[in-house]
Amino acid sequence: MRRSLSIAVALALLLVASQAHAHAELDHAEPRVGNKVATPPREVTLWFTQKIEPAFSRMTVTNAAGERVDSGKARISGSQMSVSLRGGAAGTYRVNWHVLSVDTHTTDGNFTFQVGE
Amino acid sequence: MDWFGAELDGPLVAVRTVHFAASAVTAGVVIFGAAVLMPASRTAPQVLAVAPRLRLVVWLALLVSVASGLAWFILQAAAMSGLSVGEAMSPGTLWTVLDETQFGQVMLARSLCVLVLAACLCLGGGAGLRRLRLAAALGLVGAIAWTGHAGATAGTEGVVHLLADVLHLWAAAAWTGGLLALVLLLLALRLAPDRAPVRIAAVRRFSTLGLASVATLIVSGAVHCWILVGSLQLMLVTGYGRLLTAKLVLFAAMLALAAANRVWLTPHLATMAADRSATILTCSAMLELLLAAAVFALVGALGTQHPAAHFLI
Repeated sequence: MRRSLSIAVALALLLVASQAHAHAELDHAEPRVGNKVATPPREVTLWFTQKIEPAFSRMTVTNAAGERVDSGKARISGSQMSVSLRGGAAGTYRVNWHVLSVDTHTTDGNFTFQVGE
Repeated sequence: MDWFGAELDGPLVAVRTVHFAASAVTAGVVIFGAAVLMPASRTAPQVLAVAPRLRLVVWLALLVSVASGLAWFILQAAAMSGLSVGEAMSPGTLWTVLDETQFGQVMLARSLCVLVLAACLCLGGGAGLRRLRLAAALGLVGAIAWTGHAGATAGTEGVVHLLADVLHLWAAAAWTGGLLALVLLLLALRLAPDRAPVRIAAVRRFSTLGLASVATLIVSGAVHCWILVGSLQLMLVTGYGRLLTAKLVLFAAMLALAAANRVWLTPHLATMAADRSATILTCSAMLELLLAAAVFALVGALGTQHPAAHFLI
């Protein structure tokens, strides 16, 4: 029995790195993180590595002057969260997000994208 | 609070530990009844003398499980909403967590298992009710998988992870709760006439249950490690990995005791030194239970940590 345990433990420890993500991290976004777009987007969409809880997940978008330009209520479906933008000028936009994954872990983060030629 | 370099939320870890241990004892004693006590009673009806005491243990463990489950729900609601515990105890926040989150829905389903189990315990023991009681106990423990990391793993890997966690939870309950029931049975048989063959019948059956549990724990634990840790390096450098390593060390110690019980003590139950062997077996099983309590504390902590595999991103 002890031998089988040591084999199993060794097996568990030596397995190569898996690609699993065990709580919700930002997978990608549209507009893309750090990218430049010509005109202000109509909405910002974030895709996470896991399903998130609509009740406790939120995001805001602010313009270069620090003013909110999102419509307020984010739409959440599965692992995706979107918010409409009210339009705006060229400049740097900052997206702040805070999500609760279905495994009860909270994560948050932020990134920027540029609007303008 | 800090264990092995992992920052911990003390109250949350404490209520989770108590809740997991109490739920495991509840289910484990019920499993012991179905897999050891009832079959053993066909050849050795004296084992049924411990049945009322086991029933009492299930009731007590169920009560502790409900109380600690409520406390876990409230603390988790505070953590999820980012509010203080006092603020999170408002009906609005608690209802949102119960109604709109996966954690809340799972806790609701587990509450139904508690009600069914309590009703079965009150109504007594036909064969149908015994099966329903076993199903409710397995549901109470197995559903915990959906509150944790396995409940959020995506795709096919998510299904494998959930299956592994459900089996892991059932096996852990069968081993630890069964061990407690075995200790109570051995203590109850201490002065009974013709105790040696009765003890052998019960211990052999428990031994089979224990072996099946250990095999299941090893395989499902390996799947869990592969998904949530991924490499030896992460096992040692992350807080999650170090907690898991500590858990594996305790598990190995429990296994060594179990192996000694099976290989060395169980055969002696049939010899002249039967009573002495039974006493040593009881003490060794109690020591295993102490180690199991420490394992539950580590499990209470592990679920609150970001898994090691996250650090690969």
